[in-house]
Amino acid sequence: MSLLKDLFFYQGNKWWKIPETTELSKNPKNEHPFGGFMEKSKNILLILSSGKGHAGPIYYWIIAAILGIITMIEVWWFGIKELRYMLVPAMLIFSILKFALVVAFFMHLRFDHKMFSTIFITCMVVGILFFSVFLLLSAFHGLGT
Amino acid sequence: MSTNVTIHHGEEINNSTGVSHKKLLMWTFLGSDVMFFGTFIATFMAYRNKSLNGPYPEDTLNIPITSVSTFVLLMSSLGIVLALHYLKEAKMGLAKFWLLLVIIMGIIFIGFQIYEFSHFAHMGMTPQVNLFGSTFFTLTSLHGAHVSLGILWLIFLLINEHRGNLNSGNAIDLEIAGLYWHFVDIVWIVIFALLYLITANDGVPPGSIPWIGGH
Repeated sequence: MSLLKDLFFYQGNKWWKIPETTELSKNPKNEHPFGGFMEKSKNILLILSSGKGHAGPIYYWIIAAILGIITMIEVWWFGIKELRYMLVPAMLIFSILKFALVVAFFMHLRFDHKMFSTIFITCMVVGILFFSVFLLLSAFHGLGT
Repeated sequence: MSTNVTIHHGEEINNSTGVSHKKLLMWTFLGSDVMFFGTFIATFMAYRNKSLNGPYPEDTLNIPITSVSTFVLLMSSLGIVLALHYLKEAKMGLAKFWLLLVIIMGIIFIGFQIYEFSHFAHMGMTPQVNLFGSTFFTLTSLHGAHVSLGILWLIFLLINEHRGNLNSGNAIDLEIAGLYWHFVDIVWIVIFALLYLITANDGVPPGSIPWIGGH
Protein backbone atom coordinates (compact mmCIF):
# COMPACT_ATOMS: atom_id res chain seq x y z
CA MET A 1 0.00 0.00 0.00
CA SER A 2 2.85 2.32 0.77
CA LEU A 3 4.21 1.88 -2.75
CA LEU A 4 0.78 2.51 -4.23
CA LYS A 5 0.48 5.66 -2.15
CA ASP A 6 3.89 6.80 -3.31
CA LEU A 7 2.95 6.17 -6.90
CA PHE A 8 -0.58 7.41 -7.12
CA PHE A 9 -1.50 9.71 -4.28
CA TYR A 10 -0.95 13.41 -4.08
CA GLN A 11 1.05 14.33 -0.99
CA GLY A 12 2.14 17.90 -1.60
CA ASN A 13 4.67 19.54 -3.89
CA LYS A 14 2.37 19.43 -6.89
CA TRP A 15 0.90 16.31 -8.42
CA TRP A 16 4.17 14.65 -9.39
CA LYS A 17 5.32 14.73 -5.76
CA ILE A 18 8.88 15.77 -6.49
CA PRO A 19 10.38 17.58 -3.52
CA GLU A 20 11.52 21.12 -4.17
CA THR A 21 14.91 20.36 -2.69
CA THR A 22 16.59 17.14 -1.76
CA GLU A 23 16.82 18.34 1.82
CA LEU A 24 13.04 18.00 2.08
CA SER A 25 13.30 14.24 1.82
CA LYS A 26 14.84 12.87 4.95
CA ASN A 27 17.58 10.31 4.82
CA PRO A 28 16.96 7.02 6.60
CA LYS A 29 17.87 7.19 10.26
CA ASN A 30 20.61 4.60 10.09
CA GLU A 31 22.25 4.59 6.73
CA HIS A 32 24.04 1.30 6.80
CA PRO A 33 23.19 -2.40 6.84
CA PHE A 34 23.35 -2.78 10.60
CA GLY A 35 22.38 0.76 11.46
CA GLY A 36 20.15 0.26 14.48
CA PHE A 37 22.49 -2.27 16.05
CA MET A 38 25.48 -0.01 15.45
CA GLU A 39 23.78 3.06 16.89
CA LYS A 40 22.99 1.24 20.09
CA SER A 41 26.09 -0.79 20.67
CA LYS A 42 28.68 1.72 19.40
CA ASN A 43 30.37 -1.22 17.80
CA ILE A 44 33.98 -0.96 16.67
CA LEU A 45 32.80 -1.33 13.07
CA LEU A 46 31.12 2.04 13.35
CA ILE A 47 34.46 3.60 14.13
CA LEU A 48 36.03 1.81 11.18
CA SER A 49 33.35 3.10 8.81
CA SER A 50 33.45 6.50 7.20
CA GLY A 51 31.70 8.02 10.20
CA LYS A 52 29.82 10.45 7.99
CA GLY A 53 26.38 8.91 8.20
CA HIS A 54 26.97 6.94 5.02
CA ALA A 55 28.20 3.46 4.40
CA GLY A 56 31.98 3.22 4.54
CA PRO A 57 34.35 0.65 3.03
CA ILE A 58 33.89 -1.77 5.92
CA TYR A 59 30.20 -2.09 5.10
CA TYR A 60 30.92 -2.72 1.46
CA TRP A 61 33.30 -5.52 2.46
CA ILE A 62 30.65 -6.97 4.77
CA ILE A 63 28.03 -6.90 2.00
CA ALA A 64 30.52 -8.48 -0.44
CA ALA A 65 31.30 -11.21 2.10
CA ILE A 66 27.58 -11.91 2.55
CA LEU A 67 27.14 -12.08 -1.24
CA GLY A 68 30.08 -14.48 -1.54
CA ILE A 69 28.74 -16.70 1.26
CA ILE A 70 25.26 -16.82 -0.29
CA THR A 71 26.80 -17.81 -3.65
CA MET A 72 28.77 -20.60 -1.95
CA ILE A 73 25.58 -21.84 -0.24
CA GLU A 74 23.80 -21.80 -3.62
CA VAL A 75 26.48 -23.94 -5.25
CA TRP A 76 26.64 -26.25 -2.21
CA TRP A 77 22.84 -26.64 -2.28
CA PHE A 78 22.96 -27.45 -5.98
CA GLY A 79 25.43 -30.27 -5.29
CA ILE A 80 23.34 -32.02 -2.61
CA LYS A 81 20.96 -34.50 -4.23
CA GLU A 82 18.78 -34.78 -1.11
CA LEU A 83 18.00 -31.05 -1.32
CA ARG A 84 17.09 -31.03 -5.03
CA TYR A 85 13.34 -31.01 -4.30
CA MET A 86 13.80 -27.59 -2.67
CA LEU A 87 16.19 -26.27 -5.32
CA VAL A 88 13.85 -23.89 -7.16
CA PRO A 89 12.42 -22.01 -4.13
CA ALA A 90 15.84 -21.93 -2.45
CA MET A 91 17.58 -20.48 -5.52
CA LEU A 92 14.82 -17.92 -5.99
CA ILE A 93 15.10 -16.79 -2.36
CA PHE A 94 18.91 -16.62 -2.51
CA SER A 95 18.92 -14.66 -5.76
CA ILE A 96 16.27 -12.22 -4.47
CA LEU A 97 18.39 -11.72 -1.35
CA LYS A 98 21.55 -11.04 -3.37
CA PHE A 99 19.64 -8.81 -5.76
CA ALA A 100 18.25 -6.75 -2.85
CA LEU A 101 21.66 -6.43 -1.16
CA VAL A 102 23.35 -5.13 -4.30
CA VAL A 103 20.54 -2.73 -5.18
CA ALA A 104 20.07 -1.37 -1.66
CA PHE A 105 23.67 -1.01 -0.56
CA PHE A 106 26.02 -1.10 -3.57
CA MET A 107 23.68 0.95 -5.75
CA HIS A 108 22.81 3.15 -2.77
CA LEU A 109 19.11 2.95 -3.49
CA ARG A 110 18.42 2.76 0.24
CA PHE A 111 20.32 6.00 0.81
CA ASP A 112 19.25 7.85 -2.30
CA HIS A 113 16.26 9.90 -3.36
CA LYS A 114 12.88 8.14 -3.22
CA MET A 115 12.20 9.01 -6.83
CA PHE A 116 14.88 6.55 -8.01
CA SER A 117 13.39 3.77 -5.90
CA THR A 118 9.94 4.53 -7.28
CA ILE A 119 11.14 4.39 -10.90
CA PHE A 120 13.11 1.18 -10.44
CA ILE A 121 10.49 -0.63 -8.36
CA THR A 122 7.73 0.33 -10.80
CA CYS A 123 9.73 -1.14 -13.68
CA MET A 124 10.48 -4.24 -11.59
CA VAL A 125 6.76 -4.72 -10.89
CA VAL A 126 5.91 -4.34 -14.60
CA GLY A 127 8.74 -6.73 -15.54
CA ILE A 128 7.70 -9.37 -12.98
CA LEU A 129 4.06 -8.99 -14.04
CA PHE A 130 5.01 -9.57 -17.67
CA PHE A 131 7.22 -12.49 -16.65
CA SER A 132 4.38 -14.12 -14.69
CA VAL A 133 1.71 -13.56 -17.35
CA PHE A 134 4.00 -14.89 -20.08
CA LEU A 135 4.83 -18.03 -18.09
CA LEU A 136 1.16 -18.61 -17.24
CA LEU A 137 0.16 -18.20 -20.88
CA SER A 138 2.88 -20.58 -22.01
CA ALA A 139 1.87 -23.11 -19.34
CA PHE A 140 -1.81 -23.12 -20.28
CA HIS A 141 -1.72 -22.43 -24.02
CA GLY A 142 1.77 -23.47 -25.09
CA LEU A 143 4.03 -21.47 -27.35
CA GLY A 144 3.73 -23.40 -30.55
CA THR A 145 6.43 -25.95 -29.79
CA MET B 1 9.08 26.23 -13.51
CA SER B 2 11.53 27.49 -10.93
CA THR B 3 15.10 26.30 -10.69
CA ASN B 4 16.58 25.11 -7.42
CA VAL B 5 20.23 24.98 -6.46
CA THR B 6 20.81 22.30 -3.87
CA ILE B 7 23.79 20.48 -2.49
CA HIS B 8 23.28 16.75 -2.16
CA HIS B 9 26.09 14.38 -1.14
CA GLY B 10 28.61 17.06 -2.07
CA GLU B 11 27.19 17.43 -5.55
CA GLU B 12 25.64 20.69 -6.68
CA ILE B 13 22.26 20.12 -8.27
CA ASN B 14 20.94 23.00 -10.30
CA ASN B 15 17.59 22.05 -11.78
CA SER B 16 13.86 21.98 -11.21
CA THR B 17 13.62 18.49 -9.75
CA GLY B 18 16.28 18.71 -7.06
CA VAL B 19 17.88 15.44 -8.11
CA SER B 20 20.76 14.72 -10.45
CA HIS B 21 19.35 14.35 -13.93
CA LYS B 22 22.25 12.14 -14.96
CA LYS B 23 21.33 9.75 -12.19
CA LEU B 24 17.64 10.04 -13.00
CA LEU B 25 18.37 9.16 -16.62
CA MET B 26 20.45 6.15 -15.59
CA TRP B 27 17.80 4.83 -13.21
CA THR B 28 15.15 5.24 -15.92
CA PHE B 29 17.37 3.37 -18.37
CA LEU B 30 17.99 0.61 -15.82
CA GLY B 31 14.25 0.36 -15.25
CA SER B 32 13.73 -0.18 -18.97
CA ASP B 33 16.60 -2.68 -19.05
CA VAL B 34 14.95 -4.66 -16.25
CA MET B 35 11.93 -5.16 -18.51
CA PHE B 36 14.21 -5.91 -21.47
CA PHE B 37 16.03 -8.69 -19.64
CA GLY B 38 12.76 -9.79 -18.03
CA THR B 39 11.34 -10.68 -21.45
CA PHE B 40 14.38 -12.75 -22.41
CA ILE B 41 14.47 -14.56 -19.07
CA ALA B 42 10.73 -15.23 -19.33
CA THR B 43 11.26 -16.61 -22.85
CA PHE B 44 14.02 -18.90 -21.60
CA MET B 45 11.84 -20.21 -18.79
CA ALA B 46 8.82 -20.65 -21.07
CA TYR B 47 10.87 -22.77 -23.47
CA ARG B 48 12.58 -24.69 -20.68
CA ASN B 49 12.44 -28.46 -21.20
CA LYS B 50 10.86 -28.07 -24.65
CA SER B 51 13.83 -28.87 -26.89
CA LEU B 52 13.07 -31.71 -29.27
CA ASN B 53 16.69 -32.73 -29.64
CA GLY B 54 19.96 -32.36 -27.71
CA PRO B 55 22.23 -31.23 -26.32
CA TYR B 56 20.30 -30.61 -23.13
CA PRO B 57 21.34 -28.56 -20.08
CA GLU B 58 22.66 -31.60 -18.14
CA ASP B 59 24.94 -32.41 -21.08
CA THR B 60 26.46 -28.97 -21.34
CA LEU B 61 26.33 -26.66 -18.32
CA ASN B 62 29.41 -26.59 -16.11
CA ILE B 63 28.43 -25.18 -12.71
CA PRO B 64 31.92 -25.04 -11.08
CA ILE B 65 33.34 -22.87 -13.87
CA THR B 66 30.31 -20.56 -13.94
CA SER B 67 30.43 -20.27 -10.14
CA VAL B 68 33.95 -18.88 -10.36
CA SER B 69 32.99 -16.32 -13.01
CA THR B 70 29.91 -15.38 -10.95
CA PHE B 71 32.10 -14.81 -7.91
CA VAL B 72 34.47 -12.64 -9.98
CA LEU B 73 31.58 -10.48 -11.21
CA LEU B 74 30.16 -10.15 -7.68
CA MET B 75 33.52 -8.98 -6.37
CA SER B 76 33.82 -6.48 -9.22
CA SER B 77 30.72 -4.82 -7.75
CA LEU B 78 32.63 -4.39 -4.50
CA GLY B 79 35.53 -2.95 -6.50
CA ILE B 80 33.47 -0.29 -8.23
CA VAL B 81 31.77 0.86 -5.04
CA LEU B 82 35.19 1.17 -3.35
CA ALA B 83 36.58 3.05 -6.37
CA LEU B 84 33.71 5.52 -6.09
CA HIS B 85 34.15 5.86 -2.34
CA TYR B 86 37.85 6.68 -2.67
CA LEU B 87 37.25 9.02 -5.61
CA LYS B 88 34.77 11.02 -3.52
CA GLU B 89 37.38 11.22 -0.78
CA ALA B 90 39.97 12.38 -3.37
CA LYS B 91 42.18 9.34 -2.70
CA MET B 92 43.09 9.07 -6.36
CA GLY B 93 45.62 6.25 -6.08
CA LEU B 94 43.16 3.90 -4.40
CA ALA B 95 40.36 4.98 -6.73
CA LYS B 96 42.51 4.15 -9.80
CA PHE B 97 43.61 0.84 -8.27
CA TRP B 98 40.05 -0.37 -7.66
CA LEU B 99 38.81 0.89 -11.02
CA LEU B 100 41.61 -0.98 -12.77
CA LEU B 101 40.80 -4.10 -10.75
CA VAL B 102 37.14 -3.88 -11.78
CA ILE B 103 38.15 -3.66 -15.44
CA ILE B 104 40.40 -6.70 -15.03
CA MET B 105 37.63 -8.65 -13.31
CA GLY B 106 35.20 -7.69 -16.08
CA ILE B 107 37.67 -8.95 -18.69
CA ILE B 108 38.12 -12.19 -16.71
CA PHE B 109 34.34 -12.66 -16.68
CA ILE B 110 34.16 -12.15 -20.45
CA GLY B 111 37.09 -14.55 -20.83
CA PHE B 112 35.12 -17.21 -18.94
CA GLN B 113 32.13 -16.58 -21.19
CA ILE B 114 34.20 -16.88 -24.36
CA TYR B 115 35.69 -20.15 -23.05
CA GLU B 116 32.21 -21.45 -22.18
CA PHE B 117 30.74 -20.51 -25.56
CA SER B 118 33.60 -22.07 -27.51
CA HIS B 119 33.36 -25.21 -25.34
CA PHE B 120 29.63 -25.44 -26.05
CA ALA B 121 30.20 -24.94 -29.78
CA HIS B 122 32.83 -27.68 -29.70
CA MET B 123 30.25 -29.99 -28.08
CA GLY B 124 27.73 -29.20 -30.79
CA MET B 125 25.58 -26.74 -28.88
CA THR B 126 24.99 -23.65 -31.00
CA PRO B 127 22.17 -21.06 -31.08
CA GLN B 128 20.44 -22.82 -33.98
CA VAL B 129 20.61 -26.41 -32.70
CA ASN B 130 17.55 -26.33 -30.40
CA LEU B 131 15.33 -24.13 -28.21
CA PHE B 132 17.67 -24.40 -25.25
CA GLY B 133 20.62 -23.23 -27.36
CA SER B 134 18.67 -20.35 -28.92
CA THR B 135 17.31 -18.96 -25.67
CA PHE B 136 20.50 -19.61 -23.70
CA PHE B 137 22.85 -17.94 -26.18
CA THR B 138 20.50 -15.00 -26.78
CA LEU B 139 20.25 -14.16 -23.10
CA THR B 140 23.86 -14.77 -22.06
CA SER B 141 25.23 -13.00 -25.15
CA LEU B 142 23.10 -9.95 -24.45
CA HIS B 143 24.40 -9.91 -20.91
CA GLY B 144 27.96 -10.34 -22.20
CA ALA B 145 27.42 -7.39 -24.54
CA HIS B 146 26.32 -5.29 -21.56
CA VAL B 147 29.43 -6.30 -19.61
CA SER B 148 31.68 -5.52 -22.60
CA LEU B 149 30.11 -2.08 -22.97
CA GLY B 150 30.63 -1.53 -19.25
CA ILE B 151 34.32 -2.46 -19.54
CA LEU B 152 34.81 0.06 -22.38
CA TRP B 153 33.03 2.72 -20.31
CA LEU B 154 35.23 2.04 -17.27
CA ILE B 155 38.42 2.10 -19.39
CA PHE B 156 37.32 5.50 -20.70
CA LEU B 157 36.78 6.71 -17.12
CA LEU B 158 40.14 5.31 -15.97
CA ILE B 159 41.91 7.21 -18.76
CA ASN B 160 40.04 10.37 -17.76
CA GLU B 161 40.96 9.80 -14.12
CA HIS B 162 44.60 9.30 -15.09
CA ARG B 163 44.54 12.58 -17.02
CA GLY B 164 43.00 14.38 -14.07
CA ASN B 165 39.65 14.98 -15.74
CA LEU B 166 37.79 12.75 -13.30
CA ASN B 167 38.05 13.79 -9.67
CA SER B 168 35.97 14.15 -6.52
CA GLY B 169 34.20 17.14 -8.06
CA ASN B 170 32.62 15.12 -10.86
CA ALA B 171 32.49 11.72 -9.14
CA ILE B 172 28.89 11.50 -10.35
CA ASP B 173 30.28 10.28 -13.71
CA LEU B 174 31.79 7.23 -12.02
CA GLU B 175 28.66 6.78 -9.91
CA ILE B 176 26.54 6.57 -13.08
CA ALA B 177 28.90 4.00 -14.60
CA GLY B 178 28.86 2.18 -11.25
CA LEU B 179 25.06 1.96 -11.31
CA TYR B 180 25.28 0.40 -14.76
CA TRP B 181 27.96 -2.05 -13.61
CA HIS B 182 25.98 -3.10 -10.54
CA PHE B 183 22.99 -3.62 -12.78
CA VAL B 184 24.82 -6.10 -15.03
CA ASP B 185 25.86 -7.82 -11.81
CA ILE B 186 22.29 -8.19 -10.51
CA VAL B 187 21.10 -9.42 -13.91
CA TRP B 188 23.80 -12.10 -13.73
CA ILE B 189 22.66 -13.03 -10.20
CA VAL B 190 19.24 -13.87 -11.67
CA ILE B 191 20.71 -15.57 -14.76
CA PHE B 192 23.03 -17.71 -12.62
CA ALA B 193 20.13 -18.90 -10.48
CA LEU B 194 17.60 -19.52 -13.26
CA LEU B 195 19.70 -20.51 -16.28
CA TYR B 196 22.40 -22.43 -14.49
CA LEU B 197 21.53 -23.72 -11.01
CA ILE B 198 17.85 -24.46 -11.59
CA THR B 199 18.21 -25.66 -15.19
CA ALA B 200 21.49 -27.60 -15.01
CA ASN B 201 19.83 -30.90 -14.05
CA ASP B 202 17.28 -30.80 -16.88
CA GLY B 203 17.66 -33.92 -18.96
CA VAL B 204 15.78 -35.24 -21.98
CA PRO B 205 12.18 -33.92 -22.03
CA PRO B 206 9.40 -36.53 -22.60
CA GLY B 207 9.09 -37.36 -26.27
CA SER B 208 12.41 -35.80 -27.24
CA ILE B 209 15.39 -37.51 -28.82
CA PRO B 210 18.21 -38.44 -26.40
CA TRP B 211 21.47 -36.72 -27.22
CA ILE B 212 24.30 -39.01 -28.30
CA GLY B 213 26.87 -36.28 -28.89
CA GLY B 214 30.09 -36.74 -26.98
CA HIS B 215 31.83 -35.06 -24.11
